[in-house]
Amino acid sequence: MSEQAKTGDTTVPRSRGGSNALKSYLGAYGFMAPAGILVIVFFLIPVAIVLYLSLTNLASSNFTSNLAIMEFIGLKNYQTLLNDQFARKIFFNTIFYVLVTLSIFNVSLALLVSLLTTHIDRSAGFVFRALWILPRITSPVVYILIWKRMIAEAPFGIINQFNEALGQPTYNYISTNPWVFVVVVNGFIGVSFGMIIFTSAIESIPRDLLNASLVDGSSKLQRIRYVIMPLIRWPLLFVVTYQTLSLLTSFVEIQLLTDGGPGLYRTEVWSLTAYHRALSNYFGNAQWGYGSAFAVLLVMIGVVLAVIYMRVFRFDELIAEPRVEAL
Amino acid sequence: MKSRDGLFDTLKVKVDESPQSFPQDLAEALRFGAISICVLLIAAFLFSGVIGPLFALGSVEETVTDVLTRLALLALPFVAYISGASVARRYTRSDIARALGLAFTSTALLFALISAGYFVLDYGVFAPRQSLQMTLSQTEAGIRVDAVVAGGAAETAGLQVGDVISAIRRDAVDLGAFNKRLSQSTEGDPLRLRFTRSDEELQETVRVVLVSDKQLGALLPGLALALVFTAIIVFLPGHWAPYIALVGLLSPLIVGYFWVIIATFSFRTEGLVPLDGNDNFGGFTLKNWESIFVGNIAGLEFNIVPIFMTSLAIAVVMTFVVLLVSSMAGYALSRMHFPGRRFFLSFTLILHGFPAITLLIPIFIVLLRLGNIPVIGELIGFNTVGGIALVMVAFQLPLGVWLMKGFFDNIPWDMERSALIDGASRWRTYWEILLPQIRPGLLALGIFAFIGGWNAYIIPATYSIGSGVSNLPVFLNELIDETAPVDWNQVAAVGLFQLIPIFIFFIFAQEYLLNIYAGGTKGSS
Amino acid sequence: MKVTIDNLSKKFGEVVGVENLTLHIEDGEFVAFLGPSGCGKTTTLLTLAGIYKPTDGVIRFGERVVNTVQPKDRNIGMVFQSYALYPHMTVFQNIAYPLKLKKVSKADQHDRVRQVANVMGIGELLDRRPGQLSGGQQQRVALGRALVKEPDVLLFDEPLSNLDARLRLTMRGEIKHLQKDLGITSIYVTHDQVEAMTMADRIAVMSGGHLQAFDSPDELYDRPKTQFVAGFVGNPPMNFVDVSVQASNGRFFAETESLRLEVQKERGAPPASHGGPVVMGIRPEDIQIASDPNNGTVSGEIFVVEPLGREDLIDVRIGRHSFLLLADTEDRHQAGERVSLAFDMEQAQFFDPETEKSLLWQ
Repeated sequence: MSEQAKTGDTTVPRSRGGSNALKSYLGAYGFMAPAGILVIVFFLIPVAIVLYLSLTNLASSNFTSNLAIMEFIGLKNYQTLLNDQFARKIFFNTIFYVLVTLSIFNVSLALLVSLLTTHIDRSAGFVFRALWILPRITSPVVYILIWKRMIAEAPFGIINQFNEALGQPTYNYISTNPWVFVVVVNGFIGVSFGMIIFTSAIESIPRDLLNASLVDGSSKLQRIRYVIMPLIRWPLLFVVTYQTLSLLTSFVEIQLLTDGGPGLYRTEVWSLTAYHRALSNYFGNAQWGYGSAFAVLLVMIGVVLAVIYMRVFRFDELIAEPRVEAL
Repeated sequence: MKSRDGLFDTLKVKVDESPQSFPQDLAEALRFGAISICVLLIAAFLFSGVIGPLFALGSVEETVTDVLTRLALLALPFVAYISGASVARRYTRSDIARALGLAFTSTALLFALISAGYFVLDYGVFAPRQSLQMTLSQTEAGIRVDAVVAGGAAETAGLQVGDVISAIRRDAVDLGAFNKRLSQSTEGDPLRLRFTRSDEELQETVRVVLVSDKQLGALLPGLALALVFTAIIVFLPGHWAPYIALVGLLSPLIVGYFWVIIATFSFRTEGLVPLDGNDNFGGFTLKNWESIFVGNIAGLEFNIVPIFMTSLAIAVVMTFVVLLVSSMAGYALSRMHFPGRRFFLSFTLILHGFPAITLLIPIFIVLLRLGNIPVIGELIGFNTVGGIALVMVAFQLPLGVWLMKGFFDNIPWDMERSALIDGASRWRTYWEILLPQIRPGLLALGIFAFIGGWNAYIIPATYSIGSGVSNLPVFLNELIDETAPVDWNQVAAVGLFQLIPIFIFFIFAQEYLLNIYAGGTKGSS
Repeated sequence: MKVTIDNLSKKFGEVVGVENLTLHIEDGEFVAFLGPSGCGKTTTLLTLAGIYKPTDGVIRFGERVVNTVQPKDRNIGMVFQSYALYPHMTVFQNIAYPLKLKKVSKADQHDRVRQVANVMGIGELLDRRPGQLSGGQQQRVALGRALVKEPDVLLFDEPLSNLDARLRLTMRGEIKHLQKDLGITSIYVTHDQVEAMTMADRIAVMSGGHLQAFDSPDELYDRPKTQFVAGFVGNPPMNFVDVSVQASNGRFFAETESLRLEVQKERGAPPASHGGPVVMGIRPEDIQIASDPNNGTVSGEIFVVEPLGREDLIDVRIGRHSFLLLADTEDRHQAGERVSLAFDMEQAQFFDPETEKSLLWQ
């Protein structure tokens, strides 16, 4: 160092700089390490395993305490999947479930609720929105318990009690209308996400703009149509993409409510199949290899959607460089 | 400019409008009504004629489109009356008589239009009804057949005037029960009737037929209902409308949560009605709560304390680990300069949308392997609280890291620089200077993680065997699956017991929770 | 402690923060970095502090090269524009924090914090939190925290710009006084040229990442080496006019189509020999409104009068040129009024329009 300190010596002491920077990088990696290890252990390794398993015939029928007994069968599981009549039905079930739940509840009802709650007294609006959060913070088991009683057969079911009071016939809803309630039950959970996003978007519209439109002589409905709606296009797109992904992968409520039934795969969706195949097959034979093929396809769709919405919403632009540097 | 007053509008600025004559107003009201009718008819057609068949092509066995069609048709008259009455509402304050006159006229005309439609299409009050084609009356002895339609279902089956019906199959019926049974049957259903004819007990099977008897008299109650409804619409203060809509939309939830509360305090319930052992209203009891602590529900013995402690342990461990790990990674991503930072950030975002739940199977294998590692395997392997908590931590990590990064981003850089110049290491800067300043963020994420951990079901259910490490939701589901018949009121008590901590958090931390779910761009669903 | 900066460059990717900066700061000197926002002065300061890593060049504290020395090992104190007080700590804990990190014993911490707090006049506030303090008090706490560890170098990043005008005046005096008392080498970043002029021993004027001048305040004011410095230093700013300087019979005249002003030889010769058009600069205080027009004065029309309180700032148009000048409010000049202006050409500056360098001072 004394050498470098001589006058006229203007070279940057790079070697020391390098090691110092490395030290500070190591510090950063130290901060990242716990998260990194968890991600490796519970995301990356499992992804590798599921990819590998999907190429094997591992199933409980050939399962011993040693996992190595499985056979590598290449893409056969995927071939089976493509020719599987039930897989086709499940595929369309999934599309149906996502489209209908998304359009009716996660988007339309969410938008309606946020419009309604922003057009009433602020604190009342807050209370209503808080109530809509309830299904999301209730354990799925308890939430489904409530719905099971809602739709139970007469005389126990709450809806059927109303039916009787109105002189209507009563139904065993879980067998007559399973999809209606799968959609409604999941939809009531799904409303809150869009509701919050839309509400914050509406509340961030400058008050002057909203007041100006009323002064200009438009009615509140017209204001919603011509002022508010155009301004929340972007959040709308965000909710659609984001919720598509969460609906694709959510299956716990369906599992608890109908478990994919009644009958054969009537309300089965893709993610539930991956779970069923692997953990509790109808026929008592868990097909881990085949189930993994289902999971892999879903993982691929999920990653593609995630990358797309990262691009569409320019999340990477949120990434500013840190303003303290490693020396 | 006529359409300036929308439905339920509360105009702040009254637009300068030349007053219209009564016929002009009426024409406008009818036009609105007709538009509403058309929109709903088109919607109904789309549901049942286009969307439904499309899904049927994909062999989806759904009834959602049917239900939507029926809802659209059910709502049709009411929406039409509202549309018409909305024109009248502009006179509510100035000229009540005119408002009511206009609204009633438009409703009556719309009612006539809709009824005509029903008449032509055999729908609504003119829909064919289930019938056995005989006239009945209730007498002391039973239901007496007063007349039969010549060549009708009853006559074909062999019933005659004077027969007294006592039962359908083995179920004794009176006239009310008989009609109810009839209304719940569909065309072609066989009803096996027991009846006496001159003291002789006979049985005949009568098949239900659909008969349309278009009696205009049936319209009168409908008209009355329509007019009352219209009057309510005309007088309803505009600012009530959002509240009514919100309460209406929320009603299933309100009713459902209301049921849990009632159920836990009563012997048994039918619908929302608490009943005692003799099917009378009442039967309030604390027995359900008692049974949780006694540890016996429908013969299934258990000890609530370890289950509760497991729930608590999963939630608490998870909360602390999520907070520590996410805030560390969030700090590095927000504040530190290192190669690969952009990659890690993008990766976090992708993980954010990653369907982690599909990895349940391979994670199962990972946990089995982790369990084989000496010492730490006991803590984080398969079938341990630690393992379950760690998996849940991993699933919440992408959200947590992103959220924490956002909170760190909001702290001024000078704070960090100041600490570094004061002589702090990065770790101390993080721990002593920055963490205390993102308390709201930590609190929000902490509550979020705690609720997630406390409610955890699928992961504990998948990665634990036996009740050793099962938490409350898993236990609750076992109760439902493994006891028969399920004692719903005791199960509800366990459910409410599980829900109470969440309710408490909910009341005290609504704002934080709304914030975090609004993490939106940052949050998961 | 001497601070020596040699050929310092700092780039953020393609963006140049500061380029090729060489600056030798003497022990105990008070140096101001002055320039408009984005000129690189704060970047330089943060590089000195060790927050940014130099892209190129060498920074020495004394004889020691500190390029890769961590901020905590540089023994510097810094006061930030936002004060950057730790909101969750009391005033005492804030000031004691650098000592705590140096593992100074509790008792010593206590003594030294008290001592500094008394010097700063905040001895009564030690148990409060920053949120409960006024801006001026926060400023003193920040200063106390920077001073408590007896730094070799004190860095100030626009520390007064969040204070109201009155308080700024007081703090200006106090900081300067304190710095002279303690004799700590100080570097003070500001965009306010009055602050720089009144406080600093020497001012480094920066623009676009480059050092424009590094001189004492008087030097900068009287003998600006570039047009940028001339324009930036002084308030209201210097007037600039494109002129050509002609020599005739040993006399020199600065001329435009509407102006002809005689210049003294020592000022007129260099621009005249430069040839072609030059930029003439003249400060508002060097132009007077003459009570009686004569051949030395130029006539113009008052365009705008802006009262500044003690004086009026007057914009006078002569032909297509516009001159700012100051006049006594007593004179009650009005817009539209025709006046005669007397230029004090002994103070005129001349610059090369291409390089913007002074033709008088090198």
